[in-house]
Amino acid sequence: MREIILLLKTKILSYKNSSKNEEKKRFLRFIIFFSVGLLFWLGTFLIFFRVLSYFASIEVIGALLASRLLSMVFLTFFSLLIFSNVITALSTYFLSDDLQLLNSTPVALSSLYAGRFVENIVNSSWTVLFFSFPVFLAYGLVYNATLLYYLTLIGVIVPFLLLSAALGTILILILVYIFPARRLKDIIMLASIFLVVGVFLFIRFLQPERLVNPESFYLVMDYISNLKTPTSPLIPSQWAANAISPFLFGYSGDWGFFLLLLWSTGLAFVVMGEWVFKRIYYDAWSKAQEAKSAKLSRSKIVNRVLETMLRPFPSQIRVVVLKDIRIFLRDTNQWPQLFLICALVVIYIYNFSVLPLEKSPMPTFYLENLLSFINLGLAAFVIAAIAVRFTFPSISLEGRSFWIVKSSPLELRKLVWSKFWLNFFFLLIPAEILIITTDILMNATNFMLWLSAITIGGMTFGITSLGIGFGAYFSRFKVENVSQIATGFGGMMYMIVAVSFIGLVVILEARPVYLFFMSKIRSIPLTGAELTEIVVLLFMALILNVLAFVLPMKLGLRKLASLEI
Amino acid sequence: MIQLIELGKRFGNLVAVDGINLKVDSGEAFGFLGPNGAGKTTTIKMMAGLIKPTSGKVVIDGWDLAEHPNRAKKVVGFIPDRPFLYEKLTALEFLKFIAGLYNFSSNGVEGKIDYLFGLFGLTDWRNELIESFSHGMKQRLVMASAFVHQPKLIIVDEPMVGLDPKGAKLVKEVFRGFCAKGGTIFMSTHTLEIAEEVCDRIAIIQEGKIIAVGNMKELKERTGSDGKNLESVFFKLTGGEEVKRIVDALKV
Repeated sequence: MREIILLLKTKILSYKNSSKNEEKKRFLRFIIFFSVGLLFWLGTFLIFFRVLSYFASIEVIGALLASRLLSMVFLTFFSLLIFSNVITALSTYFLSDDLQLLNSTPVALSSLYAGRFVENIVNSSWTVLFFSFPVFLAYGLVYNATLLYYLTLIGVIVPFLLLSAALGTILILILVYIFPARRLKDIIMLASIFLVVGVFLFIRFLQPERLVNPESFYLVMDYISNLKTPTSPLIPSQWAANAISPFLFGYSGDWGFFLLLLWSTGLAFVVMGEWVFKRIYYDAWSKAQEAKSAKLSRSKIVNRVLETMLRPFPSQIRVVVLKDIRIFLRDTNQWPQLFLICALVVIYIYNFSVLPLEKSPMPTFYLENLLSFINLGLAAFVIAAIAVRFTFPSISLEGRSFWIVKSSPLELRKLVWSKFWLNFFFLLIPAEILIITTDILMNATNFMLWLSAITIGGMTFGITSLGIGFGAYFSRFKVENVSQIATGFGGMMYMIVAVSFIGLVVILEARPVYLFFMSKIRSIPLTGAELTEIVVLLFMALILNVLAFVLPMKLGLRKLASLEI
Repeated sequence: MIQLIELGKRFGNLVAVDGINLKVDSGEAFGFLGPNGAGKTTTIKMMAGLIKPTSGKVVIDGWDLAEHPNRAKKVVGFIPDRPFLYEKLTALEFLKFIAGLYNFSSNGVEGKIDYLFGLFGLTDWRNELIESFSHGMKQRLVMASAFVHQPKLIIVDEPMVGLDPKGAKLVKEVFRGFCAKGGTIFMSTHTLEIAEEVCDRIAIIQEGKIIAVGNMKELKERTGSDGKNLESVFFKLTGGEEVKRIVDALKV
C-alpha cells in the first residue's frame, strides 16, 4: 500500500509542481475552465431535461423511451470508457518514460498495477464523468427521483469505472504479450479491428432505426415490448441502467441484484487484472523494449510521390510538411484513433442510408432537410473530434525536438501555417465526404446540399485554426505520452470552444433555412424583411467563421513566440 | 563573430545570468566553463534563440538576435547537450530536413550530407530510423546536422556527452579543422581536458557572472598556477574546497 501511495504521490506532486510555476495564470485558468465548463454542462443538462420532459409527457411509451435512452447513455459511456482505457493503459503501462526507472527498482508488480490503475481511471474517466453528471441530474429532476437514486447512482458509477478500466488494462496486456512489440503496428491494427467490430456491435445493439419505424412492428404492443426488451442482458451498461431505473420510473426491479452484479464483476475484473498483470507484465514490457527496430516499412514510392507533390512549395515549408507526414505515417500510436474515427464515419454514413424516412409520420421533404441540417452540426462535431486527436496535438508533437525549429531561421509563423494547411486538407476531405454522402443518401435539396457543403468547408477553417491555435497556446512539449496532449486541459478547452462555435454557426443558419423551406412549402416568395433577416444572420455566421479562423492562430502564434524551452 | 552585451536572464527571483559581456572573434575556439548551475546552458540557450534575455543583447555576425533572429540564426549551427531528435525520421531524412530549414537545398546538399555521414561514421546508418540510434550516435548525428548548412559559428553545449573515446577524438579534430578554416566555436563543457586542447580562449562563469576570461597562459598567470593544468586553474577560480568535501563525504 505504501508503494502505491508513493507512486500516486509522485504523479500528484509532478502535476502540482508543474502548475506551481504558473501561479498567476492558475486563477485565470480556473475562471475560464469553470465558466466554459459550466456553460457546456448547463447546455447538456437543458437538452436532456427538455427531451426527458417531452418523454415524460407521453403516456405508456414515454417512460420506455427514457429507459431505452438511459441504456444508450450507459452503453455509450461504457464503450468510450473501454476505448479510452485501452489507449491510456498502453501509455501508462508500456510507453511512459518513467517506467525505465520504476522497473529497475524493487517496486512490487501489484503496486505498479494498482498505482497505474488509479492513474488510468482518473485520466480516462474524468471527461466521461463530467459530461455524464448533467445527464443523470436531468433524469433525476424530470422523474422526481429521491436521494436514494443519487446514492445508487454513485454506487453504480464506481464499479462501472473499475470494470471498464480493468477490461481496458487486461485487453492491452494480452495484446502486447501475444504480439512481439516490434510488430506494434500489427497489434494496433488488430486492436483497431476489435474496436471497429465493437462499435458495429454497439450500433446493432441500439437498433435505432426500428424506433423511427413503428410500422415494422405488427402491433402496438409489439412495438412497446420491443422497447421493453433490454438492449443486451449480458452487457454491464445494461446492469447499470437496470440498477437505477426503478428509482426513476417507479417500477419495482431487482436493483440490488444488478448493483451487486456490477460490484462483484467490477471487483472480480480488477483482481483478474492484477492476476494477469503479475503473470505477463514483465514479459510484455520486456518485449515492448525491443520495439526499437529500424526495419519499419518505408515505402520509397510514397516518399517519392510526397516529395514530388510538395516540390512547388518553398524549401522550409516543404521540409516541415514532409517531416510531419512521415512522422504521422510511422507513429503507430496515433493509428488506433484514426481507425476508430474511420469506423465511426462509416457507421455514421451507414446509419443515414438505413433511416426509413419515408415511413415517418412527418412530411418527407421537411424531415429530409431538417435531418440534413442536424447532420451539418453532427458532421462538424465529428470533424472537431478528429481535430482534437490530430490537429490540436500537432504543435506539441514537435516535442522535445522543438529546439531544432526554434534555433533555426524558420519563422514560427511559417511552421504554424504549414501545420494549418496540412491539417486543413486532412480535415476538409472527410468533412466534405461526410456531408455530401449523407445529404445524397437523404435526398436533401440542392440548396441544402450546397449550403451544408459550403458551411462545413467554412467551419473546417475555424475548426482547424482553433485546433492549431489552441494547440500552440496550450502546447505541451514535455508530455510523457502523446495521448495526454488531447485529453488535458487544453484539449478540453478546445473541444468546448469548437463545439460552441459549431453550435453558434448552426443556430445562426437555422432561421434562414427555416424561412427558406417555409416559403418553398407554402409556395410564397420571401418578403423583404425575411430576406434581410436571412442576409444578416448568414453574414453573422460568416463573421463568426472569420473570427474563429483569425483569432486562435494569432493567439497561438504569440504564445509560441514567447515560449522558452 | 559573437558579442554578448550586458546579457542577463532572471527566472522569477533567481538571477541565472547577471549582465555578462563577452566578445568572440571569427576563427576562434572559445570555451565556456563553470560549475553546475553557473548559467552556462542559460547563456547558450539565449545565444541559440531558445530563450529570451531579460536584459542586454546577443549579436551574432553583426546581427542583433532580438531584432533579426533569422539572419543571426542562419549562420549558427547549434548542438544541445541532450540530442532530442525526430525519432521517426531516418538519419538521411533528418539531415535533409535540417538543410531545408536553413534553405540550403541546392544540388550540392546531397554531397555535403554524404561527406558528413562519412566524417561522423554514420554512413551505414543513414537509412535507419533515429529511434534505433544509441545516445552517442544521436550526438554524432546532431553534430553532423549542425554542419550541414555550412555555418560560420558552432554553438555547442557539452559536446562530449555520450561519445566514446573515438568519437571524442573525432569531434576535437572536426572542431580544430573548422576553426582553421575560419569558423568559430563557442563551447560549454565540463571536460576541462577538451577545453584545454581545443580552445584558444576560455571564460569561467560562476553564479551568473564571468569571473575570468583569457587564454590558458593568462588564466594560469592570474591564478598563479604556472606549470599546472586547467583543472587547477578552474578549482582555484571556482572553489576546490567543495569538491574535497564531497570526496571526503563519499569515502566509506
